[in-house]
Amino acid sequence: MLFCNTNMIKEKIQSYLPKNANVEYHDNLAIFEVSSTQIAEIVGELHNQKKLSLKLVTATDERKEKGAFKIWYLFAVPGDNFFICPFIELKNTTDFPSLANLVPEILNYERRIQTFFGLVATDIPDNRPLILHENYPSNVFPLRKDFEWKTKLKEVTGKYEFQEVKGEGIYEIPVGPIHAGIIEPGHFRFSMAGESIVQLEPRLGYVHKGSEKLFEVLSLENKIRLSEKISGDSSFSHSLAFCQTIEKLAGIEVPKRALYLRTIFAELERLANHFGDIGAIMMDTGFSFGGANGSRLREMMMQINEKLTKSRFLRSVNTIGGVKKDLNKSEQDYLSKELIKIAKDFEEVIAIAEDSASLLNRLKGTGIISLEVANNQGTLGVAGRAVGVKHDTRVDHPYAAYAEVSMGQIPVEEEGDVNARFQIRLKEIRKSLEIVQESLQKIPEGEIIVANITSLILQKSAYAVSMVEGWRGEISYFVATDAQGNISRVFPRDPSFVNWSALGEAGLNNIVPDFPLINKSFNMSYTGNDL
Amino acid sequence: MSIFIWIIQLFFVPALSPLCIGIIRKIKAKLQNRQGANIFQPYRDIWKLLHKDEVISNDASWVFRFTPYIVFAVTLVVGFSIPIFFPRIAGFVTSDILFVVYTLAIGTFFMALAGVDTGSAFGGFGSSREMTISALAEGGFIFSLLTMALIAGSSNLFDIASFSQSIGGQYFLPVLLAFGGFFIVLLAETARFPFDNPATHLELTMVHEAMILEFSGKRLALMEWAAANKLLIFMVLGANLFFPFGFGTDVGLASISLSIFYFLIKIFLFCGAIAVLESTIAKFRFFRLPDLLFISFIFNVVAIGLIYSIK
Repeated sequence: MLFCNTNMIKEKIQSYLPKNANVEYHDNLAIFEVSSTQIAEIVGELHNQKKLSLKLVTATDERKEKGAFKIWYLFAVPGDNFFICPFIELKNTTDFPSLANLVPEILNYERRIQTFFGLVATDIPDNRPLILHENYPSNVFPLRKDFEWKTKLKEVTGKYEFQEVKGEGIYEIPVGPIHAGIIEPGHFRFSMAGESIVQLEPRLGYVHKGSEKLFEVLSLENKIRLSEKISGDSSFSHSLAFCQTIEKLAGIEVPKRALYLRTIFAELERLANHFGDIGAIMMDTGFSFGGANGSRLREMMMQINEKLTKSRFLRSVNTIGGVKKDLNKSEQDYLSKELIKIAKDFEEVIAIAEDSASLLNRLKGTGIISLEVANNQGTLGVAGRAVGVKHDTRVDHPYAAYAEVSMGQIPVEEEGDVNARFQIRLKEIRKSLEIVQESLQKIPEGEIIVANITSLILQKSAYAVSMVEGWRGEISYFVATDAQGNISRVFPRDPSFVNWSALGEAGLNNIVPDFPLINKSFNMSYTGNDL
Repeated sequence: MSIFIWIIQLFFVPALSPLCIGIIRKIKAKLQNRQGANIFQPYRDIWKLLHKDEVISNDASWVFRFTPYIVFAVTLVVGFSIPIFFPRIAGFVTSDILFVVYTLAIGTFFMALAGVDTGSAFGGFGSSREMTISALAEGGFIFSLLTMALIAGSSNLFDIASFSQSIGGQYFLPVLLAFGGFFIVLLAETARFPFDNPATHLELTMVHEAMILEFSGKRLALMEWAAANKLLIFMVLGANLFFPFGFGTDVGLASISLSIFYFLIKIFLFCGAIAVLESTIAKFRFFRLPDLLFISFIFNVVAIGLIYSIK
């Protein structure tokens, strides 16, 4: 559980820490300072030799308290709910060493820190700003504490340099940010030779809303609501991850029944979205039977959600210290019965789909990413498991009641193509249906929320992290409090932020008419990336 | 009487074609457990578009402006020239198979030009794909009609339709093969599955839709209408050349009524076949399409070979 035997854990993680490190423990998070010159060595060792997975990299502006910016590199100890986070302090300087050549997945985090904090990663391979566009003043850094969130900025002009491919017969197709379908906005720049994609560069940031800054100013209740809107289709997972961090900072132990309810709702969210995704993948191949039935199954789930919680997206269910919505006996029976019906329905649809040679022909061998790319880019969730990255937060770092339900083996595929991502979703749907049924049987009686939740006191100058396996992949939250115990920084890292970088690789050497299908098989969140 | 027949021949295809689109969409919706729009919705869409303002790119030349009229006119002329339910009467000089095939090709040619005319990347690859497909489809198209012409001993479509009714059983296999080849061409030329997805919103996968992406208002209405006409033309050719049951032999009331009755049933069956096809298979990957068109060509070559062996 969240509060493990601290001494035992401390012993275990000693093996990961450098000697004479001055380690500070915040619940299940071990932080220690490293000098700028040594950080490459430490991060390289943790990631490349000890094979810890990198969860996120972010910065905090602590100039008021410590007179420094800090940059955090969060790693997870596999199999335990324990996290190691070396950090560097930037006193009287804005330069920090770029580690992107050492660990490629760090690149976008560093670009993000450069753009939003005005810190400079020396020798960074790609110096372009991320998310904020050229109409944004380049000397304004919105996540610094001296930036007032309501500031009206002057619009400036500039030019964004796309990567260019030159050669005879190479032409470019600019697509978006507005698309013909009702999807989120994003620009894709294809360099083409005939119908094949030579290079694909996604450019996002069109739905940047300043969520990270808003987390600093909103009231706690509104922070929960904001976390539900980080990526609307993952409302429950995002708010769960956020609530978990606050619960750690406040030292709250959530009642068991609430943990089970969280598990159930999280799986209902996964089911709805996976149904929608398999339908959308089939629809994009033009297999309209599967497409229509996928949307229908998703809608059935959404209606169940609405019936149980009054919200199709399971919003306003999570709160600090538990959940707001209990399931009484008749609701539990209703849910159990409906899911049995849906499971049967689903298997019938899939039997027909898997019998279609034309569908499988489109799915197989399309949009392949290699295991090497997935490892370099840190590809998460469905896309990662589809190429053999055996990682699932529910198993590796269990939260809610996942430690108490049987999770079995993490489903993985090896091909890394659209079909593999499709198959992973099918397996996860079956698993989720089992998890919900099992949770409904095991759910204990009791409170669903901690009493006296109104007087919430957070630890001062503390840090907390939390991971949740959303339906796309792992959602990570990093939260820091200041000397008064107020939340001073929240970094929600949606899996999309990590996975977008694999899309360019997946598109390579495919033909352009297959790109929408490839993109759909990843189905990443634009808003979760743009924040 | 001739004038009367001519007028019906001229207006029949444009008047009925949106209905066929509506019927196909309705059947598809039902097959997907959806309610679907009214079968007359395509008429309303065209009416709506005809009343909308147009946006034309500053870079568009006369090709872009005139193409909708040319494409629509082509379908009118061809629709007028094909056997629908009247037998051959004097004056149908445009009913030769070569005339029909290459008049339709003029429409395709201008549509592809209009696609590249505005310089949009989508129009460009739409046109490129369309030319790839239609160049390969042309062989199958010509040869399937030629198979029937060889059997009937005439290259006039009315003669073929009339003669086909008395075709002996020995020609069963060549006619079936020729129809197989023709049906593949029908799907390719009218932008249906597995060549193109008429219902897609994914600009990168489009063929026909990508070419007409820059059109709006009246010109878009004409383009949509012309596409519907083309579909009906192909269905009429398929129905009357390969399955000429009940095709009118004289202009008497009884004969014509029977002819209309059979005709409507056949067209409905074609709509149903297309709808079922589009609901049960996925679109093919682009580079698999040439194989399919090649099969169409082979079917017809075999059919022609068989005819000579029979004769």
